[in-house]
Amino acid sequence: MQSIYKYIISLLVCLAMYPVHAQEKNVPAPEKQGQEQKKQEPEQKKKEEPKEPEVRFFNGFTVQVDVASLATTALKLGDSYSMEGGIQFDLKKKYYPVFELGVAGADKFSSANAEFKTNGLFGRFGIDMNMMKKKKDSKPTSNLFLAGVRIGMSHFAYDVTNLQITDGYWGGTETVDYKNQVSTKVWYEIVAGVRVEIIKNIFMGWTVRDKNLLGTDVSGEVFPAYIPGYGLNTSNIWSINYTIGYHF
Amino acid sequence: MKNKINIVLILFLLLGISCTVDEGCRKSKTVNMGISFYHVVNKDTTTVMKIDSITVQGLGVDSILYNNTKKLSKILVPLNKIVPESRFVITFDTIKDTITIEQTNKDEYLSLECGCIKVHSIDTVLTTNHFIDSVKISNHTVNTTNAEHLQIYN
Repeated sequence: MQSIYKYIISLLVCLAMYPVHAQEKNVPAPEKQGQEQKKQEPEQKKKEEPKEPEVRFFNGFTVQVDVASLATTALKLGDSYSMEGGIQFDLKKKYYPVFELGVAGADKFSSANAEFKTNGLFGRFGIDMNMMKKKKDSKPTSNLFLAGVRIGMSHFAYDVTNLQITDGYWGGTETVDYKNQVSTKVWYEIVAGVRVEIIKNIFMGWTVRDKNLLGTDVSGEVFPAYIPGYGLNTSNIWSINYTIGYHF
Repeated sequence: MKNKINIVLILFLLLGISCTVDEGCRKSKTVNMGISFYHVVNKDTTTVMKIDSITVQGLGVDSILYNNTKKLSKILVPLNKIVPESRFVITFDTIKDTITIEQTNKDEYLSLECGCIKVHSIDTVLTTNHFIDSVKISNHTVNTTNAEHLQIYN
């Protein structure tokens, strides 16, 4: 439970960073004078000032799995499922390129009992940036406040079956099936979240994602109701990922 | 405190599930053919005609679409979704005419929730000539727009 406290507190610390900096800029005049006097002190003291610790270019990578998709899969009880994981690289403790891969599917029924079924792979790539400002002399932290972007893509097949057309005036019913339809969808995501080290090399974090679909479906043509890795086929959708990962 | 944190975490999780879109169907699914009535004044001039009393019924169907309806200059009728031919008996005041439309039916997918509709392309129109002088196809494509497709001249 302590680690969860640590996780929540790290988020609050991130949010509190901005006001702290703003206060530093508005230092009262007498204090500024004091600072000028300090500048005039011998250069020896300047040499004693702590240097910014050197940060390597490559600092390993984290392999992570999304727990939120597993939980939502269980709660939706078969309507749709999703499993995904990813690998995120640590460059200069600042930039975090990421590759995510997953499998998802849906078996949805309309109120008129028409069925939509799909299974497919999806992939995403993108980059996160650590938005947490650190002091010059502080060591790089493993707890991160990340913001970034993703480009996602899924190429998948789907069936839409049991579409009933009933003629209410002339009488008669016809059933329409569209099988083995293939679609490729591309989208982008704006991502923000936190990641904290709960035990040595084990990380936990969450990201909120604003997903935006690129391209539109042609009116009258058969289109998928659900897109693996994206969700329901609407121009914009929000989602949450909750990841657990190991840093190598 | 522990409970509060647990509740926050569960709320975040449920947010992902609850942020779904209302999937109800809001698209129009009604496909009708529009027929307007015109009176031929002379070779070059026609005027819109309001029928004093009109009764419209599909041939072989019990249900009446318009029953002695007064002062109409346009009617909307459904074409047969299953068979590529639709026949209507139109009674203008007391004079009956039968109009036959041969059409091509095509499936149009709207969405999973809305399903499919049939749209039509009018190929041929045949009519008896008791009240009707002639018929012109002004728009071959019949979909959800409720446009005018046939012009009936008297």
